[in-house]
Amino acid sequence: MADEPNLDELPQATVVRKKRGRISIVWIIPILAAVVAVGIAVQRILSEGPSITIVFKVAEGVEAGKTFIKYKDVNIGQVTAVQLSDDYAKVLVRAKIAKSAAGLMVKDAKFWVVEPRISLSGISGLSTLLSGNYIGFEAGKADQDERDFIGLDEPPPITNQRGRKFTLKSNSLGSLGVGAPVYYRQLSVGEVAAYNLAGDGKSVEITVFINSPYDKYVTTETRFWNASGVNVTLGADGVEVQTESLAALIAGGLAFDVPDVVSPGQPAAANATFTLYRNRAVAMKQPDPIARRFALYFDESVRGLSIGAPVTLYGLPVGEVASVGMSIDPKTQAFRPRVLVTFFPERLMAVLREKQQAAGKALEDASPEARQRNIRRQVEENGLRAQLQTGSYLTGELYVAFAYYPNAPKVKLDFSKDPLELPVVPGGLANIEAKLTSILAKVDNMPLNAIALEVKGAIASLDQTLKDADTLIKSVDAQWVPEGTKTLEDARKAIAAADRALSDADTNLLAPNSPAPQDLRDTLQEVARAARAVRVFVDYLERHPDVLIRGKPQEKQ
Amino acid sequence: MRTAVATTGARLGLLACESCQLVSRPASATEPGFCRRCGEQLEWRRHASIETTWALVIAAAICYIPANALPVLTTTTLGTSEGDTILGGVVFLYTSGSWPLALVVLIASVMIPLGKLIALSYLLITVQRGSVKSGHERTRLYRMVEFIGRWSMLDVFVDTFTVALVQLQPLMSVDPGPGVLFFAAVVVLTMLAAESFDPRLIWDSANPYPARHG
Repeated sequence: MADEPNLDELPQATVVRKKRGRISIVWIIPILAAVVAVGIAVQRILSEGPSITIVFKVAEGVEAGKTFIKYKDVNIGQVTAVQLSDDYAKVLVRAKIAKSAAGLMVKDAKFWVVEPRISLSGISGLSTLLSGNYIGFEAGKADQDERDFIGLDEPPPITNQRGRKFTLKSNSLGSLGVGAPVYYRQLSVGEVAAYNLAGDGKSVEITVFINSPYDKYVTTETRFWNASGVNVTLGADGVEVQTESLAALIAGGLAFDVPDVVSPGQPAAANATFTLYRNRAVAMKQPDPIARRFALYFDESVRGLSIGAPVTLYGLPVGEVASVGMSIDPKTQAFRPRVLVTFFPERLMAVLREKQQAAGKALEDASPEARQRNIRRQVEENGLRAQLQTGSYLTGELYVAFAYYPNAPKVKLDFSKDPLELPVVPGGLANIEAKLTSILAKVDNMPLNAIALEVKGAIASLDQTLKDADTLIKSVDAQWVPEGTKTLEDARKAIAAADRALSDADTNLLAPNSPAPQDLRDTLQEVARAARAVRVFVDYLERHPDVLIRGKPQEKQ
Repeated sequence: MRTAVATTGARLGLLACESCQLVSRPASATEPGFCRRCGEQLEWRRHASIETTWALVIAAAICYIPANALPVLTTTTLGTSEGDTILGGVVFLYTSGSWPLALVVLIASVMIPLGKLIALSYLLITVQRGSVKSGHERTRLYRMVEFIGRWSMLDVFVDTFTVALVQLQPLMSVDPGPGVLFFAAVVVLTMLAAESFDPRLIWDSANPYPARHG
């Protein structure tokens, strides 16, 4: 505008300082980001627990980043690296332990690798169905912290839970594993803590741990049995299906109980040893301290007779088959099955009526001589015999049944033999078979051809007889009929005469002095004669009816 | 390279409204006033552009660290949880043989956010130092940063998609990790930073205007 700048138009310097250079509010964003990031970093660092190293002989299924360390089923750490030791003999497992569990890493803490196991603890537990191997942990009691540990080869027995341990002896382990549940009345009350082979290698020792409130139910009389899987028994006793629980079905398990008939007894001491029975039925059986063995020699097939098959007395179980074998008859050198049966007198006592139990007991407790006498009386006098009977026609299972057969052939017992040989009678089926065979043999022996010939001859002679009879009848016809006709003719004549006489009389009687009375008298006399003749004939016929057939030529008229 | 002084609005003492593009004379050099037509506040250059951009770039850079260090996805398979970081995913893809996919993830999720941060820092530094060189290249770089911004959310999108789809409880489930939050923050912050940066500043050193120094 103007060429000369007007100085008055120049702006005046302000006194108040302009608010410049103040920090923009936008810087809150990076500060906030920094605070959050630093916060997370600090939290990470603070939550970082200690790193530990565990030395294992083998680390099966242990993987870096995937294997957890679990204490009471809670993850307390994670494996970060798995590597071999410098001498390649061992495995070094490095793991990061959660901050919260850092206090547990003390000198006597224990680590071991837990093999995978399928456990079903309800539907929610399905996610752990296939949880891989993990490292088990057991807290120690020492105060000293430790970062290097030596892993155990086997899980340590459970220690810091309240409860008691018991040892079970078994022939085989079955499907049991460490951690398999122990049931008491279908309640899970404990688990298998460990198992190992007994010193002699002939049995398995299973250590079970029963949790505290339930361990008092383990008494001196308690029986343990294997509740693994489904137990289906198809024996002479019928079909039996048994399972403890679904989990036991898959993972195996044990159960214990006290038999009903036995008093519970005292609580068992810790580490007491029990026998592990095969199944509940076996476990719950009465103990049979007294067992008597007898030998039975059968003359029939013992196919279907298994060891353990019941021995019954009138259907009640009194023993079981101990062995089934073969022997040679010393007399005939023939083979014959030899069955050893074990007889448990106490089972018989159990089914006796209460009052008679004492008597039974007295018999049982008697001296060997008295017992011998008793057996002799039962067998020789009363006819006690053993018999093979079919328990199930479906499977052909056999059992040994004792019963009295008073008609059985008498035997003499030989008490010098041990075990004593008891007499047998052929079994039910065998008996029927033998009878059928003998009937068939008899049928086979019949002279059927000769019989047929005889029958033929008899029929022929019968035919002849009939012909004779025919002839006879014809001759009777010829002989007797003319005779009869004659008699009737006479009678008719007589009647006609009588008729005439009567009509004469009718006329003559009317006229006096007629000869009618004379004639009538004569006629009546004639009629009387005719009637007599008929009577005589009838009488004769009555006495000799055969005259009708045979005929009699000299007939008195 | 053209470094000749160009005629700009600012140099002529004129302002364009950012909203309605009306060219007007400022009320005063220091206080440009308001647009006569639409009422928008007039500014020579975006207000505190460099400062705001710096703040956002720094915030994004801070967030970039946990975005890569923390897992973006937590996969739970049969009770076992496993967190996966972005780089972990890249390594997994590479080792499992699909290196093209690994490359895509590496470029899209690691290199591009980092590249944006570096590019914005470079632009800010050059502007602050009053560099007059390679204005065209710097402008092209800025356009690229601005363009790429919206595509960087792909990772977050895939992440949320996977989380929503893979929920096969109790066999398998995928949950978002904390890393994905930071990753999203990086993307959003760099987008905002690119937005707050005034590209005209690139040329101002070569074309000074009176108001800048007023």
